[in-house]
Amino acid sequence: MVDLMRTVLQKVQVEQTLIDQYAREAAKIVGEDNVSVNRADLLATCRDYWPVNNVWMVEGAVPALPQLVVWPQNTSEVSRLLALANAKKIPVTPFGEGSGALGGVVPLKGGITMDLKRINKIRFIDHENLMVTVDCGMNGALYEEELNRAGYTGGHFPQSLRCSTVGGWLSCRAAGQFSTRYGKIEDMVVSLEAVLPDGTVFSGRSVPRTATGPRVDHLMLGSEGTLGIITSAALRIWPLPGKRHLASYTFERLEDGLEAIRLFMRAGTRPAVVRLYDAQETGNHFPELGDKRCALILIIEGSAKIVDAETSVIEDCVTGQGGLDEGAEHVEHWLEKRFNIGVASMLFQKGAVLDTIEVTTNWHNAHSTYLAMQQALLAVEGTMLASGHYSHVYPEGAALYVTMVGFPGDHKLAYYKNLWQAAMEAAITEGAAISHHHGVGLHRGLWMAEEHGSGMDVLRKIKAAFDPHGIMNPGKLGLEEVQEWQK
Amino acid sequence: MAEVNMEQLLNCALCPNMCRNECPVLQILGREAVAPSGKARISAMIKEGHLAWDEAMLEATSNCLGCRGCTIHCPFPELNLCDELLFTRLTAKADGVGLPACEPYLNNLKRYSSPYGQKTSVVVKPDQGTEVLIFNGCTSLANNPASIEAVRSLLNKAGVSYQMIDEDCCGYPAEVWGDKELARQLAAENNRKFKESGAKKLITNCPECWSTFTRRYPDWDQQVPLEIIDGPTFFLQLIRDGHLQPTQSGLPDQKIDPGNKTVSYHDPCIWARTAEKTEQPREILQSIPGITVQEPFTFGACTRCCGGGSMFQLSFPRTASAIARSRLEEFPAGAALVTACPFCREGLFQDGRPVLELVELLDRACQ
Repeated sequence: MVDLMRTVLQKVQVEQTLIDQYAREAAKIVGEDNVSVNRADLLATCRDYWPVNNVWMVEGAVPALPQLVVWPQNTSEVSRLLALANAKKIPVTPFGEGSGALGGVVPLKGGITMDLKRINKIRFIDHENLMVTVDCGMNGALYEEELNRAGYTGGHFPQSLRCSTVGGWLSCRAAGQFSTRYGKIEDMVVSLEAVLPDGTVFSGRSVPRTATGPRVDHLMLGSEGTLGIITSAALRIWPLPGKRHLASYTFERLEDGLEAIRLFMRAGTRPAVVRLYDAQETGNHFPELGDKRCALILIIEGSAKIVDAETSVIEDCVTGQGGLDEGAEHVEHWLEKRFNIGVASMLFQKGAVLDTIEVTTNWHNAHSTYLAMQQALLAVEGTMLASGHYSHVYPEGAALYVTMVGFPGDHKLAYYKNLWQAAMEAAITEGAAISHHHGVGLHRGLWMAEEHGSGMDVLRKIKAAFDPHGIMNPGKLGLEEVQEWQK
Repeated sequence: MAEVNMEQLLNCALCPNMCRNECPVLQILGREAVAPSGKARISAMIKEGHLAWDEAMLEATSNCLGCRGCTIHCPFPELNLCDELLFTRLTAKADGVGLPACEPYLNNLKRYSSPYGQKTSVVVKPDQGTEVLIFNGCTSLANNPASIEAVRSLLNKAGVSYQMIDEDCCGYPAEVWGDKELARQLAAENNRKFKESGAKKLITNCPECWSTFTRRYPDWDQQVPLEIIDGPTFFLQLIRDGHLQPTQSGLPDQKIDPGNKTVSYHDPCIWARTAEKTEQPREILQSIPGITVQEPFTFGACTRCCGGGSMFQLSFPRTASAIARSRLEEFPAGAALVTACPFCREGLFQDGRPVLELVELLDRACQ
């Protein structure tokens, strides 16, 4: 049989003799079993859930291959492995569970992929101070499960809960479905432990707040492996809620739903789950509600008396905007189905391209951004559907989550690029932030300069200070000028 | 003959895998190539001719316990990844690729009809008109003859006439290790003996054997000529019919906590998810006086594998042992463990507490 697999994006590799040397020295640090150059391991870690990777896979291609995979088991090993790579100027790409949607783990320049899944324990639960110290490679569902067994929740439920790691959440500034009460992941961080490319291990103090200059550990949040590797974190935890109230409503117009949410957030309530769907998604997710009205689902949880009070305030705000009570059943349905994303694989096999784009809006442009992005996406030839919902809310605004499906025939990649270009331009024109929680990875780097303005130069200076040899996850976060993928 | 279902395989390969937390191999090894989608991608690319087998790819795709834990949250109801991987691996032999670590066991199968080497046979000749044939399975024969004695004792107490034959391995290990022809030969020899026995019912306490008889033999054109009944259902019926009457707890004294009469049942994956036999063992336990049953953290259809599925204790012993230790953490402290599978018993027998097969406990409970 002929081995046809090809790499699409890889333009450079590290000289093999350097890799061989590294492999020998790495084996002394982590043991021979924890270093691999075999094809199965290189293939497995070369990609994430970026839809483009799937297009290439069925054509027998991969974006790029690492030349070596290594599995450290603790912070000390990460430190020694990074220092070794830094001394030899070999690129290092950190890898968790590969659920990222933007090519963030593609090893564009080959080198080393560091799979962090063997650093995967809860170190300790601090009952008195309501914190947990957890390793970066722990699977999200197992993290929550272990906390539940001790009577707590981590409060973080991204759709990728079962296929992502704690370190991945921190590196990409993830958000969970219950974020309005518990916060995005960065809101849960008390302190981080991380390793710089030269092997320096540092961590912040696990105290509620400090006034001792900038929190250097927090600088690692959202750095997507470009500055170093987050190895553990102290995170907030909560006692399991004593009461959970489920409610759903429908509105005649999306704007009415948005206004109701704005008002109850302004009033100080913090329901755990707030999701407002446009009419199209209401019809898709809750067929029994039809596709003419916009559904709002709510979960309010915590201590019983607080839940009752919040429910009362929220009901007033929602009914005041014309919301019709649709009961708890639709929320139960959502809870049951919320991790099911099988439709993407099935549609892909039928020739469709499906993707989602999340942006952050303020209240003043929450609805106009939705309209602009939908219109822009529908204008791209081949698009069959562009719908949206608001998935996370704050006193200042909301995250808008747009889903699009198209049938581009043989031009999947060109179509995919056009979709993103249209969506990002519309979001930027409306004044939205280009990402709420999926991060940047490889693909979204193209719009980072517009997003940050002069701040992008500051980010590059920070990168140069932390990683002077540029070994950490090259080509991501828009830190390098040329991105081959977009050309 | 079962073929790889490419549509289903691709569904997995294209998916981020909401099952990752339920794949014990992935969680123990932390190695991306053994993630469900990692294995599915290798398999799909090999089937499509984009990749050629090598030993590492075969080893990665063999890192599947067949436990179907990945089906618990799977959005594709028709996908059975364990089977798709099994069928894909069967093409490796034709490409001249095998797993050296499994060769000695394959050789044992060829020479002794048991992966464990020289067989220990327990043969009980039938009486006139004996309908029941007990198939012990090579793992019980090799590792836990006490469970076979318990079965014999229970049948005698219940007054059931039975026979045991000079059985060969059911053949599943041969297929797991890539030799389908050997599997078929073992199946044919067992079927010959089944026919000769004159029995009408085939009872087995080994879930792997049960699964092989019911699911794999038809695929090998070796339909079993007897009615196949799983052990938990068979022994429960004897209790319901009043042929067996548990009268005491049957629990051995524990060294650590002698007065503790708590029992926790580990659902073997095949009984729980393939045969859907989760209530029968519990009804048996409930029939035993003087014990308290307490569930582990995951149980029933959501049970987690002990690491013993698909011959892992032979193929990947270190991984199997680590998975078992992880599973043991889910059980209530101090509880005696009961299970209904020889592989599970073997795997869980690690931390000093009693581990009994259900038939052993039942036999001790029945006077």
